Amino acid sequence: MQKRIVAMATVLSLVLPSVALAAGGEELFLQSCGSCHKKGGQAAVVNPADKAGSVWEKYFARGRHPVDISLSDADLQVVVAYLTAHAADSDQPAAAVIPK
Amino acid sequence: MKKILLTAGALLAWSGCALAGAGGQTVSMPVEDYKAILERLDTLQKRVDQLEKTEASPSDKASAAAMPGKLAKDVEAIYDTLDEVETKTLKDRINFGAEMRTRVDNFKLKDHQLFGGPGSAEHNDNHWSNRFRLNMDAEIRKNLFFTGRITAYKNFADADSNIYANDSNVAHLPGDSGLKLDRAYVDWTPEGMPIPLALTFGRQPVSEGPPSELKENRLRQSTYPSLLFDGEADGVVATIGLERYLGWKNSGIRFAWHKAYQDDSDSVSYMDTYGGAMDDSNIGAVFFETEIPGVRDSLLVLSALRADDLTASDYYLGGSGANSGNIGDMDLYGVHLQANNVVDSGVDLFLSLGLNETHPDGTINYTFTHPSYGVVTMPVGFMNNDGTTSHSGWAVHTGLRYTIPYQAWNNPKVGFEYNHGSDYWFSFTWGSNELFNKLATRGDAYDLYYIQPFNDNLFGRLGYTHVKYDYANSGLHIGDFGDSNAELDNFYFLLDCRF
Repeated sequence: MQKRIVAMATVLSLVLPSVALAAGGEELFLQSCGSCHKKGGQAAVVNPADKAGSVWEKYFARGRHPVDISLSDADLQVVVAYLTAHAADSDQPAAAVIPK
Repeated sequence: MKKILLTAGALLAWSGCALAGAGGQTVSMPVEDYKAILERLDTLQKRVDQLEKTEASPSDKASAAAMPGKLAKDVEAIYDTLDEVETKTLKDRINFGAEMRTRVDNFKLKDHQLFGGPGSAEHNDNHWSNRFRLNMDAEIRKNLFFTGRITAYKNFADADSNIYANDSNVAHLPGDSGLKLDRAYVDWTPEGMPIPLALTFGRQPVSEGPPSELKENRLRQSTYPSLLFDGEADGVVATIGLERYLGWKNSGIRFAWHKAYQDDSDSVSYMDTYGGAMDDSNIGAVFFETEIPGVRDSLLVLSALRADDLTASDYYLGGSGANSGNIGDMDLYGVHLQANNVVDSGVDLFLSLGLNETHPDGTINYTFTHPSYGVVTMPVGFMNNDGTTSHSGWAVHTGLRYTIPYQAWNNPKVGFEYNHGSDYWFSFTWGSNELFNKLATRGDAYDLYYIQPFNDNLFGRLGYTHVKYDYANSGLHIGDFGDSNAELDNFYFLLDCRF
């Protein structure tokens, strides 16, 4: 029994961080980007599938966001990773995380 | 500004007086000069006023102030456009191309077993066909490429499927108007390998190989010389690059494995036929190829191929198809030499040799109705009627093509090919692009053609083929049916559009 618990804990410890990262990316995206980029919001609706992954990366690398993003570098990396993971050319494009 | 100039003028006047005064001297000048100075000062004043007014113009002020912002907006708009284009490009993972061929044949066939044997004659003065091909390719990653082709090939006004179509020729025989999978494969070059290795898996590019590209007026289409293997086949191929070891350009060795037949149940897709009617037929091959050292744009291919447990059906002899089975193995060897544009003469040359040897093992029954004896059943084996007699065969295929240096006519080409096959010559050319599978001929075939390019996307080909059969059932490995006096004459014209 103890062995099983240890094994399960090991598996969970390996699996959970990646799940948390994926969930955290979407959550952070909705919180930080979705506050303005929403239907009737201050800016047009945006979703990861609006651009290809490499295009998202270049977009932020060039500092093209028109207004200052109040995100730490680490959080911005999480958002960009989420955008690229669900970009238009990804295996799992997300086109309606923020409803249009 | 006005104030500054007035002050300056006053100071000048005062300082002049002062200096004069300081020196105890008085400046005296003519009245005209004095007026001229005043006028000049007035002119300067007006100019200053005008400049101040110009500077104060609201539109220009706005324009000047807006310039950096406008530029920024333009740059942003360009970036947005680039984003859209780049996103669309990255989403379009497959590139498409197409080919359309319309062909008319005028053929005459006499004494051929297909139409009644000795004394028979068949003639068609205009037989039309259409062939459509959709070509695809994609660079999935830097070291991963996909290539595919689907084909619809049909005779005019005909939607029936071809009764001789099978997995190795279904995209190369005119049949119904449905799309057939001609080739679909992935080339994978694994990174970090100690040797230059490429793996190709899928439905392989093994049709229309060298030297077919000369007559087809295109780039090389297959890895294997067409005299030995010309058809469609599923399999896996490993290619090892040897150029870095041998120093010979484009040298490499290929290990290929294909299934020529796989026993399966049509009702349960992942199982054999109940009871295991026939063994699978496997083809294993090794090909070495290189550019011939010292000969630019040339090709040498050495081939060795083994086919195990080849299958047979009396269907191909005109029987019911009820009798089928494995009839033996075969070895096939080949040497192919080709040189394009030899010493810049515009002449392309090739010579291809083939040798086959059978290892028969058993027979199938062939039942037919004889005009004198009624229903007759006879055993037929691997190019024999006893199931045991082994045979060897050979073939040669040679020819040339000359590109006529006449720019006004888009450099047309003229070519001639000849091939001869011995009595027991047999290779895997069921999917040949040639309407009469001429490279399977047990006898002699002569082929003359003229290619007229109209532009980069369209060309026409006018040709004549004469085949003199010495031995029956060319292209078929079932049974031993003796000599033949059949002859074929074919005039044709085709238009080929590729884009």
